[in-house]
Amino acid sequence: MGKVTGFLEYQRLAETAEPSRERVKHYREFIAHLPDQEASIQGARCMDCGTPFCMTGCPINNIIPDWNDLVYKQNWKQALDALHSTNNFPEFTGRICPAPCEEACTLNISNAPVGIKSIEHAIIDKGWDMGWVAPQPPAHKTGRRAAVVGSGPAGLACAQQLARAGHEVVVFEKNDRIGGLLRYGIPDFKMEKSLIDRRMEQMSAEGVVFRVNQDVGGNVAARDLVQEFDAVVLTGGAEQPRDLPIPGRDLDGIYFAMDFLPLQNRRVAGDKNVPDLLATGKQVVIIGGGDTGSDCVGTSNRHGAKSVAQFELLPQPPAHENKLLTWPDWPVKLRSSSSHEEGCSRDWAVTTKSFRGEGGKVKALVAARVEWKMDKASGQLKMTEISGSEFEMPADLVLLAMGFVGPLQKVLDAFGVAKDQRGNARAGTDGPGCYATSVAKVFAAGDMRRGQSLVVWAIREGRQCARAVDEFLMGSSELPR
Amino acid sequence: MMRKCHLNTCPVGVATQDPVLRKRFAGKPEHVINYFFFVAEEARELMAKLGIRKFSDLIGRSDLLDVKKGIEHWKAKGLDFTRVFHVPNMPPAHVGGPARYNCERQDHGLEKALDYRLIELAKPALERGERVAIDMPIRNINRTVGAMLSGTIARLYAHEGLPEDTIHIRFAGSAGQSFGAFLARGVTLELIGDTNDYCGKGLSGGRISVQPSPKFRGEPTQNIITGNVVLYGAIAGEAYFRGVAGERFAVRNSGAQAVVEGVGDHGCEYMTGGTVVVLGMTGRNFGAGMSGGIAYVLDEDGSFAQRCNTAMVQMEPVLSEAEQEGKVSRDLWHQGKSDEAILKGMIEDHARHTGSMQAKQILENWNACRGKFVKVFPNEYRRALGELAAKGKKLAA
Repeated sequence: MGKVTGFLEYQRLAETAEPSRERVKHYREFIAHLPDQEASIQGARCMDCGTPFCMTGCPINNIIPDWNDLVYKQNWKQALDALHSTNNFPEFTGRICPAPCEEACTLNISNAPVGIKSIEHAIIDKGWDMGWVAPQPPAHKTGRRAAVVGSGPAGLACAQQLARAGHEVVVFEKNDRIGGLLRYGIPDFKMEKSLIDRRMEQMSAEGVVFRVNQDVGGNVAARDLVQEFDAVVLTGGAEQPRDLPIPGRDLDGIYFAMDFLPLQNRRVAGDKNVPDLLATGKQVVIIGGGDTGSDCVGTSNRHGAKSVAQFELLPQPPAHENKLLTWPDWPVKLRSSSSHEEGCSRDWAVTTKSFRGEGGKVKALVAARVEWKMDKASGQLKMTEISGSEFEMPADLVLLAMGFVGPLQKVLDAFGVAKDQRGNARAGTDGPGCYATSVAKVFAAGDMRRGQSLVVWAIREGRQCARAVDEFLMGSSELPR
Repeated sequence: MMRKCHLNTCPVGVATQDPVLRKRFAGKPEHVINYFFFVAEEARELMAKLGIRKFSDLIGRSDLLDVKKGIEHWKAKGLDFTRVFHVPNMPPAHVGGPARYNCERQDHGLEKALDYRLIELAKPALERGERVAIDMPIRNINRTVGAMLSGTIARLYAHEGLPEDTIHIRFAGSAGQSFGAFLARGVTLELIGDTNDYCGKGLSGGRISVQPSPKFRGEPTQNIITGNVVLYGAIAGEAYFRGVAGERFAVRNSGAQAVVEGVGDHGCEYMTGGTVVVLGMTGRNFGAGMSGGIAYVLDEDGSFAQRCNTAMVQMEPVLSEAEQEGKVSRDLWHQGKSDEAILKGMIEDHARHTGSMQAKQILENWNACRGKFVKVFPNEYRRALGELAAKGKKLAA
């Protein structure tokens, strides 16, 4: 619980970051975890509420008050064990999770919340530094075989849990490296890729086999997997990007964010012959105000873009939420990422109407302002264009980061699993038969089942699905629920 | 949200006395009003869905309970509530079936309370302050005797009450529960017989004395004379029991003084003030949670230490007045008097009010007996006395 009066004595302390000016010159991480003593003081701010909303705010129900207290008492090893008991990959979430736990923190009602994410970051980095993160191979092998299709956070969490339960696990990845969006979506400056390699080493020692360049539904037949394995888990993510079918869309210089971001990660990884899609010297406009858009901002600035602008369709949210109305839920409020700090103009309530080009290349986009009003009949917010608000924005690189509509249908169709209305694999999350698809032996978890979401939700689904698979294979399971 | 009400650190300013934290309280009475409106509204919606008009029509309708939710939980496995939820086949209340909710007023028989007679007989005292002596028998159906009389005194004279012993009532018999509850200053209840539980509950300045009937041949220090939870929450007044009390004697006493010839378990539990003298054996867990006042316990065989809960109290010898003068700062004297003076005075009062042989024998051999008493001194009380004295000196300087 930390110190009883800690929250009255100590202020929340942010992790230190390299100044924007310096960090845009490289692609390395630029945020340093808190030193032991500082982390301990941050842990002292935890009030051990008795009904810890942080734990329910966290999708994987991290036992946050426990490790806050352990860090306060400098009991790092035990803190690491408590953290790992609910989270396979704290080094991922400790860097890129938006920390819904902190929004749910009871201290957040009337004060700044406990720096939960910074404490998690400190624990796991120390754990690796001290060599405490060791493989946990199973005591007994079950002789059952499970295939995991897709190596993003859901697939990795599922694979690790299944391997630790004694199953033989093979992970199939269509790209040339393991990690999914962790590898090719999230830029290195937010999360260095050596972290994934380090985890893979641990997982390999636990018995997980990784196979890359395996396009299930392409060069690997779904039928073969179902025949060869006792269970198949589909964790292929929600890769289908939302398009913007407006006049001029086919002009050169307009790309999906996921056509742009992975290339930079490849360059950082040292790959040769990476296509030359760069923002260097360009006027970049990013359409979409979410995390992917923000990653495009950071990457464009590192390329040396002439200017970077980001458009969002929704109105600008308030700087501060009304906590009495929103706590402990995730509030809608203005959030600025580290990439925004590095320089970019942001505009809200803007709709893009067409692209204008010269010689087949995009030169500008035509946009207009919109107004959002509650539709009395449906209770939904409806958007109307403000007449005469049209404006032109010069652009020679346009990046579309408007979210993902669902999984690639090819994989789901290859297995023939039933889908929900949004085209996700249909499977429940509770009760008997959870995470099982309509096809025998085939399970689904993560974005492929729930649609686009956070890494932490993927880890949750991967873990829970592993239990469901273990139960299916063995009749009962000791894996956590 | 929080379960830290006992730490004075409530972060939203609800359960705290800390002025800094109290400023954080953002609630308004209107929020509570709104909340109850919402509760009522939702209840009405749910009832309308069920086709129920009145709340009382819901009582006993176990057939309407939703029993499916949560059945997946591993703890619920194998639980079958169908028998608990079975609705017997019987007509509704309004067509002659059995009542399923409170349909009749409970008759407390209050008009038959002994106190109406006492108030009548005490009129000269209540109206003119004259001394009144009353003699009457008592039975265990007479509960809370003295409370309504005390209420009448409180209405006329508030907590000040009447001069000592203005109304003196002698009872003979076995008193019912809560004998002398909230007894006001100026009233003396002298009982020849015994009492039930809760005797002297909330005692507020009056005096209660209980001694066995002369026909009783037993040894008072070996026999129960009053029940459990005697003097619960007493705030002022005196009580003397020539005999042994049950469990939780003087629990939460905050100012009364009492003498008793033995107590059951948990004596002086949570006591915060006043003085208790025990002239006999105690049960276990004596002084648990005791933070104020003093208890003096006669420890004839030296075994009291085994039964005293020393988590919050210390056991000390009872010094002679001269020794105490030499060894202990006056700041730490209970009620500014020496332990010897307090203890001896209370035992003398006990002998006078109850004719206790135990008290007389102790007084006759006072010098030998004093050394056998143990003083139970709460740590918090000692700290508070020290701080008060330091504060007083600072003010004087």
